Amino acid sequence: MRKVIGEFLKGIIKENPTFVLALGLCPTLAVSVSIINGIGMGLAASFVLVGSNLIISLIKNFIPQRIRIPCFIVVIATFVTITELMMKAYSPALNRALGIYVPLIVVNCIVLGRAEAYASKQSVVNSFFDGLGMGIGFMLALILISAIREFLGKGELFGVNLIRGFEPAFFFSLPSGALLVIGLLLGFFNLFKAKS
Amino acid sequence: MKEIFRYGLVLALICMIAAGLLATVNSFTKAKILAQGQKEEEVGLREVMPEAFQFEPIKSQTGEILYYKASDKEGRPVGIVFKAEGKGYSSTITTLVGMRDDFSISAIKILSQNETPGLGARVSEEDFAGQFKNKKDLNDVCAITGATISSKAVIEAVKKKVEEIKGLIKQ
Repeated sequence: MRKVIGEFLKGIIKENPTFVLALGLCPTLAVSVSIINGIGMGLAASFVLVGSNLIISLIKNFIPQRIRIPCFIVVIATFVTITELMMKAYSPALNRALGIYVPLIVVNCIVLGRAEAYASKQSVVNSFFDGLGMGIGFMLALILISAIREFLGKGELFGVNLIRGFEPAFFFSLPSGALLVIGLLLGFFNLFKAKS
Repeated sequence: MKEIFRYGLVLALICMIAAGLLATVNSFTKAKILAQGQKEEEVGLREVMPEAFQFEPIKSQTGEILYYKASDKEGRPVGIVFKAEGKGYSSTITTLVGMRDDFSISAIKILSQNETPGLGARVSEEDFAGQFKNKKDLNDVCAITGATISSKAVIEAVKKKVEEIKGLIKQ
């Protein structure tokens, strides 16, 4: 049981996909303009991660080593398509806000990375918690980045204007601002790790 | 050689299961997605032409919707609603336009755009889109500072389409 909790927790801080593994940065740069987008993207990616990790770990002995990548991609793409259809049916506004980045979860390297590095070697239970931890770690990273960008770039949090008369530096709403924020956060994470 | 067949078989099997699963999900989300699209369209139509009671799509010979004829409760025509498309800075901007019988604009609504957030994307905001209300001459619509291309794209697209629709009605 303790091990399982460890598998879950490592994705959040110690092996955070964004700040430590530096995976899946493209969607991070693109969607982290508002907290709502960050949460939506994080939930969608978590669902795909948990689902694909679970299935891949279940069928790992059935997949021949040499064609594992196409097999993984089919599993991942299936989960992504299910997510997209569900989002279109039940949350069209969010789907519009995230746009092309929902179908692009297929090529998010966190998902394939976990399938290749973890789920194809570990037990089903461990893979499930690894996926969940990584997904939540990704979501928390997105929320942190998008909170900073939404506040500095638009002067808002959750779409609510916080300070009257605060002139936002909307450079932070642009991809270049995202790069700056992510870079600084990565730096802080490394500093924190070096100290502890 | 034998290996190739085994690989093909495994991959085919995985794909078949995936396809079956997707077909199932699709079958119960399809109706919902369609309904969402229609609801959105209905909301959009009402937004740009609030005085209208019902909308009747007018189709071309090839079956695509040219414009919607709007009429009030008694069935009297009040105007028409149509879509205008224009190339913006980084995307195609689609605008829904309501036009009264005297060719003044009742309102516009940006349906889809993918312009720069914080700059061009502001064409959807009331500060810009609201300027079109009750206008016949679109030359005095003010463009957004720093987003001239996106603003012009909307204005020009609406202008062009208005002329097109005028021509269509005359026929």
